[in-house]
Amino acid sequence: MKPSFPTAAPFAANSSTADTRPARPLELGVWSFFETWSLGFGALLIAIFASFAPPASAAPNSDWENSLVYLEVTRKAYEVFQPWTPKSRTVQKNGLVIGAREILTTAEELSDRTLVRVQRGGRGKWWNAEVVWLDYHANLAVLTASDATLWQGLKPASFITGKLPKEGLQIVRWRSGNLETRKAEFNQFLVEDARLSFFQHLQLEASTEMQAVGWAEPLVANGKVAGLATGQGGNNARFLPASFIEPILAARKAGKYPGLGFFPFTWTPVENPSTFKFLKLPGDPRGALVIDVPATPKVEPNLKPRDLILQVDGFDVDNQGYYKDPDYGQLIVENLGSRRKFAGEIVKMKIWRDGAQMNLDYRLPKLDYSVKLLVEQTFDQAPEYLIAGGLILQPLNIPLLRGFGEDWKRRAPFRLAHYAGEPPSAERSGLVVLTSVLPDPYLVGYQDARFLVVDTVNGQKISRLADVQAALQKPQDGFHTVEFQRGDNLRRIVLDAAQMDGATKRILERYRIPAASHVEANP
Amino acid sequence: MKFICSLLAVLALSTCVTLAADPERAVVQIFTFSQEADWDEPWKFGQLRRSSGTGFIIKGRRIMTNAHVVSWARQLMVKRYQDPRPYLARVVFVGHDCDLALLEVEDSQFYNGVEPLEFGPLPKVRSTVVTYGYPAGGEQISYTRGVVSRIELQTYAHIGNRSLLGVQTDAAINPGNSGGPVIQDDKVIGVAFQGMPGLENAGFFIPAPVINHFLDDIKDGKYDGFPSAGIRTAPLQNAAYRRKLKLPDNDKGVRVDSIVPGTPAEKVLRPDDVVLQVGNYPVGSDGSIIYEGNRMALAMVVQEMQHGQSMPVKIWRDAKEQTVAVPVEVSATDKVLGNQYDLPPRYFVYAGLVFTPISLDYLKTFGRGWSDTAGAELTYELFYRRQESPKTVRSEPIVLSTVLADGVNANFRVRGRALVDKINGIRIERLEDVIRAFESPSNGQHVLEFMPKNTFECLERAEADKANADILKTYGIQRDRRL
Repeated sequence: MKPSFPTAAPFAANSSTADTRPARPLELGVWSFFETWSLGFGALLIAIFASFAPPASAAPNSDWENSLVYLEVTRKAYEVFQPWTPKSRTVQKNGLVIGAREILTTAEELSDRTLVRVQRGGRGKWWNAEVVWLDYHANLAVLTASDATLWQGLKPASFITGKLPKEGLQIVRWRSGNLETRKAEFNQFLVEDARLSFFQHLQLEASTEMQAVGWAEPLVANGKVAGLATGQGGNNARFLPASFIEPILAARKAGKYPGLGFFPFTWTPVENPSTFKFLKLPGDPRGALVIDVPATPKVEPNLKPRDLILQVDGFDVDNQGYYKDPDYGQLIVENLGSRRKFAGEIVKMKIWRDGAQMNLDYRLPKLDYSVKLLVEQTFDQAPEYLIAGGLILQPLNIPLLRGFGEDWKRRAPFRLAHYAGEPPSAERSGLVVLTSVLPDPYLVGYQDARFLVVDTVNGQKISRLADVQAALQKPQDGFHTVEFQRGDNLRRIVLDAAQMDGATKRILERYRIPAASHVEANP
Repeated sequence: MKFICSLLAVLALSTCVTLAADPERAVVQIFTFSQEADWDEPWKFGQLRRSSGTGFIIKGRRIMTNAHVVSWARQLMVKRYQDPRPYLARVVFVGHDCDLALLEVEDSQFYNGVEPLEFGPLPKVRSTVVTYGYPAGGEQISYTRGVVSRIELQTYAHIGNRSLLGVQTDAAINPGNSGGPVIQDDKVIGVAFQGMPGLENAGFFIPAPVINHFLDDIKDGKYDGFPSAGIRTAPLQNAAYRRKLKLPDNDKGVRVDSIVPGTPAEKVLRPDDVVLQVGNYPVGSDGSIIYEGNRMALAMVVQEMQHGQSMPVKIWRDAKEQTVAVPVEVSATDKVLGNQYDLPPRYFVYAGLVFTPISLDYLKTFGRGWSDTAGAELTYELFYRRQESPKTVRSEPIVLSTVLADGVNANFRVRGRALVDKINGIRIERLEDVIRAFESPSNGQHVLEFMPKNTFECLERAEADKANADILKTYGIQRDRRL
């Protein structure tokens, strides 16, 4: 398992200057918050110094000031456990002019946006902009603005095509009205979790003295774009490499971008010669050993547990699960699920199954946040909730678990967090959780119930909030019966069906809640 | 101030009371030399530890103390009041769930001139008690005085997963007091046993009902423990729920919410039965009873029963009252969910692969964050599977705890902490299955499958058999198994 790349704590609108942006820690752990905070403070000190000093170095070719723009995004943010009260948050980031009236940036912080503005030259007038295309899995977005005056004098940047250079890398961004350019030392190419998705893809890591990097600052070399920054831990910044970005933009331009595909199966390296003997593989140890193939997404034909993946798209896979990439060296086989390939396309595999070699045309399934039992992200959708007579019911998903903090795997109730590793089943595609109870005479006796996963309501199996709404239409003998999943917790509560609507109305007034529910028809 | 009061009390006692009213003569200091098991490398024991506690002589030439004072003891020594001579002692009975133990000293001289202490009843709240003991390992006996603050069910920290009757007092109870008598009217009304970090002026002692249960239990020569009824109840205070069950809204009766799978209660009780009375105790809508003037959980009544007895329970079912007999038993399965003592873990070592049953003690070897990602699957298996999917439960889930590096297993990627699913196609229900599976025909190779992601490893049988003895020798393992 590769370490994930957690989202940094968002900064509040009232402190949203480029200089106080928190850097993004690379590792999970209780120290993350401390590191984030301390780096933010460090960045502030640097900013004070920088305001009296000239830019760190002059921009080469100086054309970046005509290609790089500054973006301001205002968006809604939600309190996980009080989802009916959105707050406003503003962030600032970088954008790159990539064509006629088109600006490229990362998709991060563009969800639930209410206003996007563009600034040229790092100061002065703001132009309203809108997102014309966005892919959260790829963490890329394209913006445009209708006001022609924005575009006067702006020039599209171009991407490095082919092999990325390891020398002469720089990071460019607007800072206090000046273009700041700093050297970046190439560290490595690596295949790791995407910033906003659960799949793994190629990333470039470079070290830099520039702080608070990760807001789509371009990594450049020889006047061309080598990557876009997505995060930073210590002095190491991460970038989406041009070789990942450019094919996506080209496909989109051609109107043929179906979204990214991925490998949903789990494999393991094999070093044990006895295992190869068991698998009856002659010759040298090689191949990645498939151990788990989830039922969803459906892939036909599919791999099976105990298949050995020997070759993918002509690249030999070694017994550590690595292949030799002609441009980037040794990378894990996951990268071949997104290396110039999209969802629905065929990846040609040579596999070893049941003691014989065979070819498998593996059709890449499309990345989908809802493929897991707990939905990974809920971008551009106000959090769902349902208040039924004071019971607060919410979908159990990863954004809800993140409400317990970045280290939710430790802080969330164990049973809730454990669902994150469980697959959906035929009878249940999702889970609904009673997160808490708004105390009211209607609920006397249940006031301590919280974090209980709902099994049935009035005998109906529950996968989503819409199921709860439908089940509440069918009380039994004048009562609503809510059953929770088996465990060592409370199993059942009963409510008066006739009094529920009145209780809900009273509770909404008492607790100043604007609406009893937000339930998506097709979440 | 309290110190002065206590001191005065002692002076008064020492000058004007008879031998029978000289409880300190029956109070002993216990010196324990112990060695705990190692749950990660189960053939090993930890370092020798030295600790001390208190005990007191009761009739029958026995010393009563806490189980935690004598757990894992390799040698026990006791010293009488104002007597320099140490006597060797041994444990006769121990109840780890109730944190009580009885010791015996072979040298009959030990009991000369000592009047054994007698037990008194459950004290009243606000009444005064005096503790006797050797806190902080001091040489001289120490007395503290306080009042009974409250009486209710408390978690017994020694076992960790049981709540029994406990009495809170503001008399100081500190490390070393453990096992000492708490005296009222010259009778022992409790055994000092634990404190609570963060709670000021609060010590706890084990009261007479728990002590009497322990003493009754061992009359047949073995200790069974405190039984449970195997039911989970939920307050029945919502008017709608009471109406649905056709019960008057009168705060009587608690609802059976679920029944612990595999317990005898499954045969006589069912969810939504309402428990109106247990024995002679009427049950409130919050699941409480009044016991000796104190309101507490109805589990108290169950704890008065002995393992295997039946408890008359008046229930409300289908809008009618009826009485059923609910058998109560000591749970065999919840031992692994609490702290275990004196019985070192079962294990089997083959070709450097160490197999042992999963337990709370094993999980604690992972460190403070044992339920985090590394131990999540094991935590689920131990604590949740039995509740959630009883049909898939294994009687003794086995973990490959560690791999002792050797050429024969050096290429294993699974290096330990892995839940074992099958070996050579045999589903592993308990440790004996591991041994049976390795002994079964295996086509020249052993195949080990792990949960939950179907990870597997293979081992050449001939090489493994050959390496086995050397590995045991290299790692100083005297026996390849403890069953």
